[in-house]
Amino acid sequence: MDQRADKCPREINVPGSEQEGGLSRGEFLTLAILSAGALAGAVLGGSALGAFLSPAWKEKKEDWIAVADFDSLPEGTPALVNYDQRRADGWVVEEGRSSVWLLKEKGSVTAFDPHCTHLGCPYRWDAAKEAFLCPCHSGVFNKQGVVQSGPPPRPLDRYGVRVQQGIVSILPSRQSA
Amino acid sequence: MKQILDWLDERTGWRKLKAALLDRKIPKGVNWLYTLGSLLAFLFVLQAVTGILLAMHYSPSPDHAYQSVVYFQNEVFMGRFIRGLHRWGASAMVLVAFLHMLRVYFMAAYKHPREATWLSGVALLLVVVGFGFTGYLLPWDQKAYWATMVGSKIAGQTPLIGAYVGKIMKGGEDLGALTLTRFYALHMLVLPAALLGMVAVHLFLVVWHGISANPRRFGKDAPKDWHKQDHDHYVAMKERGQSFFPYVVAKDMAVIMVVLAVLVVLAKHLGAELEPLADPTDIHYNPRPEWYFLFLFQLLKAFPGSLETVATVVLPGLGVGFLLTLPFWDTSARRHPLERPVLTTLGVLVVAGIGALTFQGVMAPNTNAAMARDPQVEAGRRKFTELRCQSCHSINGSGGLVGPALDLEGAKREKDWLAGHFRDPQSLKPGSKMPNFKLLDSEVEVLVAYMSSLGVGPKFTANAPKLFADHCMDCHMIKGKGDDSGPDLTKEGDNREAGWIAQYIRSPDALYEKAEMPGFGKKLNKAEIDDLAAYLSAQRAEQPQVKKAPKK
Repeated sequence: MDQRADKCPREINVPGSEQEGGLSRGEFLTLAILSAGALAGAVLGGSALGAFLSPAWKEKKEDWIAVADFDSLPEGTPALVNYDQRRADGWVVEEGRSSVWLLKEKGSVTAFDPHCTHLGCPYRWDAAKEAFLCPCHSGVFNKQGVVQSGPPPRPLDRYGVRVQQGIVSILPSRQSA
Repeated sequence: MKQILDWLDERTGWRKLKAALLDRKIPKGVNWLYTLGSLLAFLFVLQAVTGILLAMHYSPSPDHAYQSVVYFQNEVFMGRFIRGLHRWGASAMVLVAFLHMLRVYFMAAYKHPREATWLSGVALLLVVVGFGFTGYLLPWDQKAYWATMVGSKIAGQTPLIGAYVGKIMKGGEDLGALTLTRFYALHMLVLPAALLGMVAVHLFLVVWHGISANPRRFGKDAPKDWHKQDHDHYVAMKERGQSFFPYVVAKDMAVIMVVLAVLVVLAKHLGAELEPLADPTDIHYNPRPEWYFLFLFQLLKAFPGSLETVATVVLPGLGVGFLLTLPFWDTSARRHPLERPVLTTLGVLVVAGIGALTFQGVMAPNTNAAMARDPQVEAGRRKFTELRCQSCHSINGSGGLVGPALDLEGAKREKDWLAGHFRDPQSLKPGSKMPNFKLLDSEVEVLVAYMSSLGVGPKFTANAPKLFADHCMDCHMIKGKGDDSGPDLTKEGDNREAGWIAQYIRSPDALYEKAEMPGFGKKLNKAEIDDLAAYLSAQRAEQPQVKKAPKK
């Protein structure tokens, strides 16, 4: 570096530079290259990284799905309801059957995601024990989805529920209770 | 800090590597033309980074490829911009690779001892062209489909082995799913690996031999046995030169930044074109290749009939053969372009020829009317087919009779009604037999756009008939009013879409060489022309013809 600076004695004084005597030509060019590289990296890397990381903050779009008549649901006992769902999966539209646990109590409806919050196994309602039982690691939830025993880390996940004109609709995005 | 660097140096020898790569001397006289190689390296990085993001959002199958590209553009953060960078970066790469080759050609830098560097460069140029050709099939839009169709037919004309070449290229008899996965694998796996390998060889040779010095002039007496003398001269030039870093790199970087700025502007403002979904049955499409293949496309027109193989196989083959053998028969000491009149003239002629053919190709009028179509309506039309709506409804006489015919739906119903009806048919039409399809919002949107387009003419202002009376009636008539020296335009809307008509009004000879009509591009402004075009495209036979489907 030193040799080169000697060979190119032209000095460039950068206005406002705090360094005394300004920068040598070589130092100035190095600085310029690094800044240009950083700028190019920011443009390219920034947009690429932005796109790569964007799933983190992208909101999932879900449409309300009508799943049941309010009147047909039993009072006070969870019911497993199957429904047809058209779902956008990226650029593919998937048609499929899904299910949801609906609990009607005191005029309002709660919808539980049908997967255990431990490792996603499908749990069932045990009427005798008045509890949801998970077959995988013996997780037990009460009627409100609160963990009674076993490994599940949190209560059952709930869906958004809307009752309009006697029709129960759900919004199947996972919302922790 | 120094301790860490020392430790690293002892383990990796990075200081020697840095000295060899960055501190090496570059011969005096190296100018801006020498920045093209570094620029290519940068463009390759750009293509790799944007390509990785594209690959993350791409599905290589004909039924999803197009949708996945649309998704990337519309739904993914920065998607449109990234695809734009990739598209314009590809064009830049082909152009810069070609310019880089021209620099080496005109300065005869391929001569001893750099023959191998040249060969790896020619291979790289072919790889870059291969990237271009395999890349633009992937979006599976009209351009992709038809350009590849033409490309594979051309390959199919190779004498003797043509039939096999065509099938190998397409992965089967037809251009379809197998072609797409084949091109995808080539574009994503084979060509990148080939490029990386060749770049490694190319760069190693560039560093090992040192970049060629500017050619000097010998005058009358060029030395015969010149290798040693040339080497000594080169060493002397190198001794007087500057180090690669930062003096040459600074120039490279300046050029890279300018090119990046241009690409960013192009990507941001123009994005990447995405034509309608590939449609093998479309007979109105004008297949055109990407601009860098346009000269070959145009060349075909010069060799009609049985001479066609001259343009498709012989000339390109000769070109590549010429490049590959060049350093082995052009072996004299002379490197200055003015001291190699034959090769310099040849180079200039070929470049001028390619330029002229490309220009001609760009300016060539399209045979088919360019139909200006609303992408939402097109998406709705596809969704209509995908959901099999025609099982119950008919449009233009084809489709089922369970539900009502939809020919005039756009004229009959407001958009809000249509949207509500799609979401829940019962709510607006109690007793309707139409099931609730539980359509997604995006699906409702495009279906409404499609339905609203049925049976309605384009919207024009009250000024349009006046414009027609002032500018057109001297030659044309509508419903008996006007002059009949030009065509009667009473049913113009049945034949042409507004976009085409507007283009024709602006400059008729761009669409039809023998047009007698003068262009109105200078007399009328854009709004007036669009208005007039909308008015003319609304001139249709009284009612769209609703044919009853024959009962089975």
